Amino acid sequence: MKTFCIIPAFNEEKNIITVVSQVKPLVDEVVVVDDCSSDRTADLAERTGVVLLRHIINRGQGAALRTGTEYCLKNGAEIIVHFDADGQFLSQDIKKVAEPIKAGAAEVVFGSRFLNSGHSLAMPPFKKYFIMPLARAVNKIFFNVNLTDPQSGFRAMSREAARKISWQQDRMAHCSEIMFAVKKNNFKVKEAPITVVYHNFGQNFFGGLKILKDLFIATLINR
Amino acid sequence: MIQQIIALIIIASILARLYWQKQKNYIGMNEFLFWLIFWILAAVLIVSLKFLDKLVAELGFSGSGIEVLLYLSVAALFYFVFRLRLKMEKIEKDITKIVQNISLKNK
Repeated sequence: MKTFCIIPAFNEEKNIITVVSQVKPLVDEVVVVDDCSSDRTADLAERTGVVLLRHIINRGQGAALRTGTEYCLKNGAEIIVHFDADGQFLSQDIKKVAEPIKAGAAEVVFGSRFLNSGHSLAMPPFKKYFIMPLARAVNKIFFNVNLTDPQSGFRAMSREAARKISWQQDRMAHCSEIMFAVKKNNFKVKEAPITVVYHNFGQNFFGGLKILKDLFIATLINR
Repeated sequence: MIQQIIALIIIASILARLYWQKQKNYIGMNEFLFWLIFWILAAVLIVSLKFLDKLVAELGFSGSGIEVLLYLSVAALFYFVFRLRLKMEKIEKDITKIVQNISLKNK
């Protein structure tokens, strides 16, 4: 099955070449979406020979993933993988998230840090014991989403699922929105254990509050 | 009394400016009418402050008429800020659509 990997990138000149060169042999096509970086991210990505889409204004990771997904659908992708450009994910995990779709066991697969037993040691304690359980509870109580990793940015979806899931959030709230959309559309879902290498803290408590605020405003606008 | 006169003078100058803006076509008819009604209503309320005091007392408010007006205007401001916020979100989404179209078209 034709597998495309989308890598949204914003000011990732330090990591983009390494990430792309690791991902490229594992998929049929790599699509880098440069979200108006002010550094050399776009130039470096272009040199690696991957498909490069450029946003002329910074619109956020959710928007970049939507641009990439539209490109993939137009160009015959059968499996679409969302990956990060900051080097936090391991390229060999792409196989783990794509495999259940190839086997017909799932239509959407979310990578989960929490299914990987060795992973919990690496996660900052405040995040592990406070932010993540809180985010999981919010997902469960308000949206009836019961996944182990409440903010997974590493996911794969079938062509059909990508066509039907339409997330509107341009920034970080797209992660939650995709989960709700998957639930709403009753897609077959699986979680796959992945490894996350922490370079920094990532999403903090206030980032989590901003996600909730964005989702709340979105429900008012979409009414 | 003097305060009321000062307030009415300010409203008159705002109305004059509003009329000038309309004459120069800086604002549309709808906006002109909205602000015209708004300021005329403000002037009427200022003129009838005593009646307003009586009215709010009968309605059970502890403050004076002007205080209740102030509370209401703060509530209205919150509402307008919220509406503005929603409008901005919509504009943001439209910008994203344009950016995405340009990005895909250039490929």
